[in-house]
Amino acid sequence: MNNRLKVLRAERNWSQAELADRLGVSRQTVNALETGRYDPSLPLAFKIARVFEQPIESIFTD
Amino acid sequence: MTVSLDRKPSLALRILGIAALAAAGGVTGYALAGVTELETMPWDDSLNLLMAALLIVSALASVVVMFTRPSSVPKGCGVLQIVVLLLAGVMLLLPMYGPTYASPDLIFWAVVALLIGQSVANLMLWNTADELFRRVMAETSALAFWAVQLALFVYAAAERLGLIQSISAWGMMGILMGVYLVCSVIASARRGLAT
Repeated sequence: MNNRLKVLRAERNWSQAELADRLGVSRQTVNALETGRYDPSLPLAFKIARVFEQPIESIFTD
Repeated sequence: MTVSLDRKPSLALRILGIAALAAAGGVTGYALAGVTELETMPWDDSLNLLMAALLIVSALASVVVMFTRPSSVPKGCGVLQIVVLLLAGVMLLLPMYGPTYASPDLIFWAVVALLIGQSVANLMLWNTADELFRRVMAETSALAFWAVQLALFVYAAAERLGLIQSISAWGMMGILMGVYLVCSVIASARRGLAT
């Protein structure tokens, strides 16, 4: 699964650690998501969508 | 705007880090060989000693990482990880070196007490960790179980057929720990935790 996490984060000038704090996960998790090494659970995907105020399907694509 | 605010360490710093780790490994190995009689030690004791050293050095490395790259999320995860690694190392050392200082009975109950403490710390770690760390823990366990049960079956068949000598439970414990550590590195690397 692909995602636009890195782009969305950069648009907001957030560091990985900042985004991790907002999502309540570790910085390593954000890094793994951005590099495509880990696909988030549905609850985390919803959380990501809420943090970026965008629908899930505009962030994640298969 | 595509500016990333994450400051990755420079290549020189990374090489320096790897060199420092290699040096630490060399010093640990040299110290280990110096304080122990590896040549006269049974292979199962040597293996468990190596595992204990790896676990304790990993715990110390985690302390360094915790101070140099502090992270607030998941809260307390780093400390618990260090506690789990340290206790595992001590539990492997006690049956070998404990009887020099106390009776085997006392050492046995000390190991049981530490095992209970480590299990509690492990459960707390699972509850504290975020979903990626839980996934890595689950994948490590699955991978280690798969590898060890395959090896156990092959060994058991060979032993039943009288083709090989029996291995002590202590030796099997060392092998299990070694396999678990390798699986842990593989699972972590797959998810990018090793970078």
